[in-house]
This record gives sequence, structure tokens and C-alpha cells, in this order.
Amino acid sequence: MNAQNDAATGSTGSQYRILVVDDDAEIRDLLSVWLRRAGLGVDTAESGPDALTQIAHTKPDLIITDLIMGAMSGIDLLTEVHQDNPLLPVILLSGRAQIPDAVRATHLGSSAFLTKPADEKELLSVVQKVLRLGGERDKVRRVFANMLTYQSPCMAQLLQRAELVAETDVTVLIAGATGTGKEMIAKAIHLAGSRREYPFVAVNCGAIPEQLLESELFGHEKGAFTGAHVRHEGLFKAADGGTLFLDEIGDMPLALQAKLLRVLQDFTVRPVGSVKNYPVNVRIISATHRDLEHLVREQQFREDLFYRLRVVPLDMPTLAERREDIPLLVTQFLEQFFRRNGGAQKHFSPDALEVLVTAPWPGNIRQLNNVVDMCATLCKTATIPLSQVRSALQDRPAELQTLKEARQAFERNYLITALRLTHGNVANAARIAGRNRTEFYKLLSVHDIEAAAFRGENADQ
Amino acid sequence: MADSKILIRIDPDLEELIPGFLGNRANDVTKLREALTRNDLLTIRNIGHSLKGVGGGYGFIRLSELGAELEQAAKENNPIPLAALIQQLSEYLSRIVVEYG
Repeated sequence: MNAQNDAATGSTGSQYRILVVDDDAEIRDLLSVWLRRAGLGVDTAESGPDALTQIAHTKPDLIITDLIMGAMSGIDLLTEVHQDNPLLPVILLSGRAQIPDAVRATHLGSSAFLTKPADEKELLSVVQKVLRLGGERDKVRRVFANMLTYQSPCMAQLLQRAELVAETDVTVLIAGATGTGKEMIAKAIHLAGSRREYPFVAVNCGAIPEQLLESELFGHEKGAFTGAHVRHEGLFKAADGGTLFLDEIGDMPLALQAKLLRVLQDFTVRPVGSVKNYPVNVRIISATHRDLEHLVREQQFREDLFYRLRVVPLDMPTLAERREDIPLLVTQFLEQFFRRNGGAQKHFSPDALEVLVTAPWPGNIRQLNNVVDMCATLCKTATIPLSQVRSALQDRPAELQTLKEARQAFERNYLITALRLTHGNVANAARIAGRNRTEFYKLLSVHDIEAAAFRGENADQ
Repeated sequence: MADSKILIRIDPDLEELIPGFLGNRANDVTKLREALTRNDLLTIRNIGHSLKGVGGGYGFIRLSELGAELEQAAKENNPIPLAALIQQLSEYLSRIVVEYG
């Protein structure tokens, strides 16, 4: 069901592209021969700036670069590359191996540091390790393929990034509107990674009152405050060895942000009322529907915490940005519904499915799932008709949306209702709406509604 | 025995690259000699460094060794062994016979 293309499965590695950067043509040629006969695709660049231009076009899976070359060193290149693509592995190759260089390179996130003269076996073994040509990558892909349904290029791109992240312990910030499936991605990252045997603990930072959130997260000692009758371990401790998913991190109060930052800095927690810090081994994945950069500018979110949480950002597309996935998702939700509830399997009529694909979906996947469930519950025939979908779409749970989304959705529904009542007569619909025709046409265009579609339609539908 | 041949077995995948590679080494010898007459130790150090880096990889371990010695001496500002090392490099190159396989 997923559009996993065969680039995913290449056990021979022939789909992997490696960019070799060295100012010495003989090193470039030699490395190219070695890598090509190992079944890898090779491009070469003779300087850092040349490499940066090539990376944008060839999108390599790995860069092997000389350390000392021209004005831009291998370390400069590494730093530059990781600004745009923090997960792209970079192997540094140096003739003048200085320990401080190696330490610095490792600190800056290089995958390996090799010394010249280059050795074929050593180089290939490091390359294989870095690309993880073995089974680990396949396992990660399987977890993602089982958990997520998509065929859209934007999801494929996002998940490629998420799969790379899953194999590491880096801190991830998932941004996206309500209902786009942020927790699902977080869970997939957890289950695909090495922490899968340990707990995945999710907490909604916006749903717990400020006073309680601190002790929920960090725990409290017995008698720490009124009502603290017993010692409470806290969610950090509960997630030990595993992943703590901090949902709606943008709603976390500033005072607590400072405490969270300290935990992320030294990975110890101090329960409320305790004088001792306890070590915790937890991977943090956070998520928010809010614009954290904006909150940082407004000084409602700590900048230092923001950067620490957003080592790798993942931006969830809205459902409207991945409409091609809607038919797949509808099928999946229907199957899940009938597995859960029994009964005869139903399906949507073609025009009903068409409306599902084109609806605005301010509540995203969660809303789609609710609408499918509602239709499956209420429909008494094997084929779910258009009218059922229309009525389910209007019965949208309001708590899913922001005010702006709700306003837009209301406006859209209002326009549709007005057009249905007037059978697509814009002059009459505009009169009902108390707008002139020009304004009304503008509104229709904003919402991408065609008045003609309502002409000849039965108003009772 | 100074003019006896040295047989070097080279990776057949590198066959295309070897003539150019050996041509560059002949150029290195010329450049090294010129640099030595100017007492330009930096050039010697750089050539030594790149010889060290590529020699073994292409299958000529002795080139890496000679390169390392050239680089080290130049780095230590010690011109005494340089002429002899350049001579050894030149002789080594003239005695090489390459066989692929």
C-alpha cells in the first residue's frame, strides 16, 4: 500500500550515491574505483564549493571529503552540509591526522575520520557501516511501512528523513497542524529504533495544569506538597530506556521550560521536593501545532530549549497537502472500523469518495477518520452515499480546530449551503449572504468552490 | 642490482589509471629536484605528503614510504637526506614493471 520504491531495498547498494571530495585527482580516481566496484554510485568534486553545488543536484547518501583542501576545509564543508541536512553522513579523510582535528570532526557530527594513505578494506567497511547496508535499515523501513499509509511524494520525503532519525538518538521536533499524525510518526520512530523494547510514554503538555505538569514529568517525593501522599516516579523515569513524547510542547509554561532544558543538558531529573538528581536515559521527541519560532520571538518559548529540541525538525503536511493519500487512508479506516466493530464491510460510492478527496479537512487525518467512522456507523446500505458524507462533514467536531480553521471551515460550509439552497444561483446566494456578487465570487474563489457544480443538484441531498 | 626490475602486481581495475599515475610521479621527481635547488622545502613537503597519500592505495607501498620520509624531513627543516631520497624515488620509478592481476 505504501509507495516504497525500490531505492529502499537496495541490498547491493547500487542506488546509494557517494560524493568524493578531494583536491587531488588521484585520490578521487582511486576512491571512485573502490566504491564503484563495491556497487556504489560515485560523483566527485574537487573543492568544498564544488561539492556544495553538486550536493544540491545529485543528493548523495554519503560524502567522503579530504580534510585539507583549498580555502574551504573538510570541516567547513561538514559544517555547511549539516546546516541544511544534519543527517547526511560525512566521512573525513586526512593525510595529516591530528587528534584535535579528529575530535573536532567527531564533535561536529562526522560519521568517521580516516587517515591517508587510504586503505580500501577500511574505507569500504566504514562506508558500509555508515550507510548501514545491512538489515537494520530494512527493519526500520518495515516498521514505517506497517504504521503509515501514504503514496504522496511529500510524505515519502518526510518519512525518508524520519527513518534516518529512527536509527539515531537525536532529538526530534515534529511540527504540524492538529490531527496530522504527529504522535503516529513519533511512535514509528520509537518502534523502529533501538529503544523499541523500552516504553514509549506520551504526555500532552497543554492538557495538564502547570502545577501538576512538573511533578508528572519529574516525579515528586512523598510529602513534597499537599496531597503528595506517596512518592511518584514521574514520566521521565517511566520512560527510562525508551522515548518520552512531549506533545504540545509549545504550551509548556516558561518556568517548566527552564527545568526541561536542564534535564536535556545533563540527563538527570530532580523530583519535586527532592535534593537529589537521578540519571535518566530517555530519547525526547516533541511536537507542536504552534509556530515555535514565533513563540521564541515573542519570548514565550526559550530559544535555547527550542534549538535543543529541534535538532532535526520534521514538518507534517496537512491532509490537504497530501490529497492523493485520502483514498488509501479511507480504505484503511474502513477496514479498521469493521475489524473493530464487526458487521459487513461497506464502501464509499465514487461521488462520495470524490467529496472526501476534495473536502478541506481542517481537522486533518483525525477528522477524516472520524468522518469515515461516522459514515460506517450510520449508513445502513453496503454503499455509503454522497449524502452521508456531506452530512458527516458538516457534523465536524469543533475542538479539532483553531479559531481561524473553524472560521474558514464555517465560511466554506456556509457558502456551500447558500449555493445548494439557491441551486448554484450566485446572485441569490449573495443576497442571502448579504454580500454583493463581486464579493461573493471572491469568497467562492478563495475556497475554490464552483457555483456551476450546484446547478441542477437536489437541494435535499 | 640498481638497475634490476621490480615487479609490482596491480589491481586490474586500476589499469586505466596507472600510466597517468606513473607519469605524474615522473613529474614529481622533476618538481622535487627543482624545489631542492631552490631550497623550497614547503613544495617538497607537499609532494611528499601527496605521495604518501596515494602511493599505497594504487599498490605502490614504497612510494608511500618515500613520500612519508620526504614529508618528514622537509617538515623538520632537514635538507640533508632530501637529495638521496629523491634519487631513490627516481631509481624506484625507473625499475618498476607493472603486472595487472
